Amino acid sequence: MTRGEHLRNLVLLGACAVALTILPHALTVYRRSFVLFTMMYVVLALSWNIISGFTGYTSFGHVAFYGIGAYACAILVADYRWHWIPTLGVGAVLAALIAVVIGYPVLRLKGPYFAIAMLGAAEGTRVVATVWDSLTHGGLGISLPSAETSLETYYAMVTLMLVTIVVAYGVGHSRFGIRLNAIREDEVAAEALGINATLYKLAAFTLSAVFPAVAGGIQAYKVLYIDPPAVFFVQITIAMALMSMLGGKGTVIGPIVGAVILYTAQELTWVNFPTAHLIAYGLFIVLVARFMPRGLVGLAIDRGWVRKGMIH
Amino acid sequence: MERSEVRGLYLLAAFLACAYAMPFVVGAWTGTVRLDERWLGNLATVVIGGIMQGGVYAMFAVGLTLIFGVMRIINAAHGEMVMMGAYLTWVCFFYLGVDPLVALVLTLPVAFLFGVAVQKLLLNAVVGAPELTGLLITFGLGLTMIYAVELIFTTDFRTIPYAPGTVRLTNTIAVGQNRVISFVMAVVISTGVYLFLKLNRLGKAIRATALNAEVAMVCGIDVRRVYLVTTGLAAALAVAGGALVSIQFGFNPETGVLYTLQAFAIIILGGRGHYLGALIGGLMLAVLENLVSLMVPNGTAMVELAAYGLMIFVLLIRPGGLMGVKEG
Repeated sequence: MTRGEHLRNLVLLGACAVALTILPHALTVYRRSFVLFTMMYVVLALSWNIISGFTGYTSFGHVAFYGIGAYACAILVADYRWHWIPTLGVGAVLAALIAVVIGYPVLRLKGPYFAIAMLGAAEGTRVVATVWDSLTHGGLGISLPSAETSLETYYAMVTLMLVTIVVAYGVGHSRFGIRLNAIREDEVAAEALGINATLYKLAAFTLSAVFPAVAGGIQAYKVLYIDPPAVFFVQITIAMALMSMLGGKGTVIGPIVGAVILYTAQELTWVNFPTAHLIAYGLFIVLVARFMPRGLVGLAIDRGWVRKGMIH
Repeated sequence: MERSEVRGLYLLAAFLACAYAMPFVVGAWTGTVRLDERWLGNLATVVIGGIMQGGVYAMFAVGLTLIFGVMRIINAAHGEMVMMGAYLTWVCFFYLGVDPLVALVLTLPVAFLFGVAVQKLLLNAVVGAPELTGLLITFGLGLTMIYAVELIFTTDFRTIPYAPGTVRLTNTIAVGQNRVISFVMAVVISTGVYLFLKLNRLGKAIRATALNAEVAMVCGIDVRRVYLVTTGLAAALAVAGGALVSIQFGFNPETGVLYTLQAFAIIILGGRGHYLGALIGGLMLAVLENLVSLMVPNGTAMVELAAYGLMIFVLLIRPGGLMGVKEG
């Protein structure tokens, strides 16, 4: 990709940032939170994509990090009376540490076994959050003291999303990203070329754990009540995976497009059909995995709607 | 056996010994272990109960191992098929008034056809594709099943009151009647499937395909048909498992996820694709779970951790499990 194209993308992102900054003043509270949650799913899908799209290690347990971030925020704000912004940092660090601890052994597993082990790890985290009630209040959940204007969380989410996009874009276009792609395509060959696969996988995994944790923290402060089933909901992992797959795994624009389309569709349907959209989720995964493994971006390239080098 | 393999087996044995010792250690620490007659009776009760429960686990795990062995597909919707079996039994019991065991006559053909349909519509396309594709597709199928059932039956927990009595073995050891009935049924069905695979022509074709699909094809085995029968059989085993689970435990649409993970843990512990491995793994997991629920405080929630921990550690220590599986 040429320098001009990077510049173009930067300008586009800047325009988005400006638009998103002005936008909340023109929106009702409901629409504002809709935009906020759309941005949250962009963050989640992009993060999932770093380990599962770029590196090829499909994680079925990323909700664990989201939940850890949400709990870090809720516990520190509700029980220790912290201001909510620094708790996001604590959540991020905690998620990174746990990602290293979980990732070091589990990333040795390949393909489906990694996916299953992560599913188990995430369910395990949920059980721990339920059982450890001296810290997490167990199944009762935690109510946060309300002091927020919905603008604070909104701008926090805008910032987080912009940072995530920049990081994901940076990873996608750096040597680091190319090495991750090499690991995805053929790990043995990559190692033979001198790439320290263990280290790179772990770095990608940790990076992909940090942003969901921050998003979880912001979400906790936004909705002001969390409990284990809500923040360790398997379906959040599924959403991350499906959004990336729908848009196009392993690209930067793909997860963004996928998240916006899918979250909008979900918002439009769930009011009328509370469980129908979940059934549709399942069917969608089947259809995308079966007929469109490279997602909308792949489809657009195959059909010649866009030039191959133009989007990434 | 190569040296590294032997080492892996020793490591696995050591890990399992630790895993079984863990509940006792935690129990001794928190004071739930008391070496009197009543406690020993409880211990014997949970071990026997665990074996009974393990028979059922083993039976539905066999379905998962069959699909994996024959097609190298990890069926992430297996637990949902178990859950579907529980609901089918529930419907037969409450709406048609059919005894849960007699209901098997109705539900098993339905399950078989369901499996065949799944194979035709979804899995045929992914045999031979990377394992992840099959996992994703069955995962999506599982989700669809969960929420379709939720739409019809809501998320309320259901139970089937059946054979509520207990069987007294001694003064202190007693096992629920429903558990004994389930265990006997599970043993009968597992033995039946085992004999089918060993003796029947079609069963032999299934085993041949599992060994090497290409050679089987060259020998004139209709591999596509074998795939259909395998998935049908696996679905039937899952649904039978669901029926036997439903008379012991409450269930709701989301319990399927737990059964999927338990079945994974079992076949990974036993060795993916091994019939006998699944049986041993089922018994071992269920006994461990029951020990945990007896001695560890907050045991009912911790039980789930037993399956996840077992699965992850076995994958890391010896991915081939007890029976050993060659990769490739």
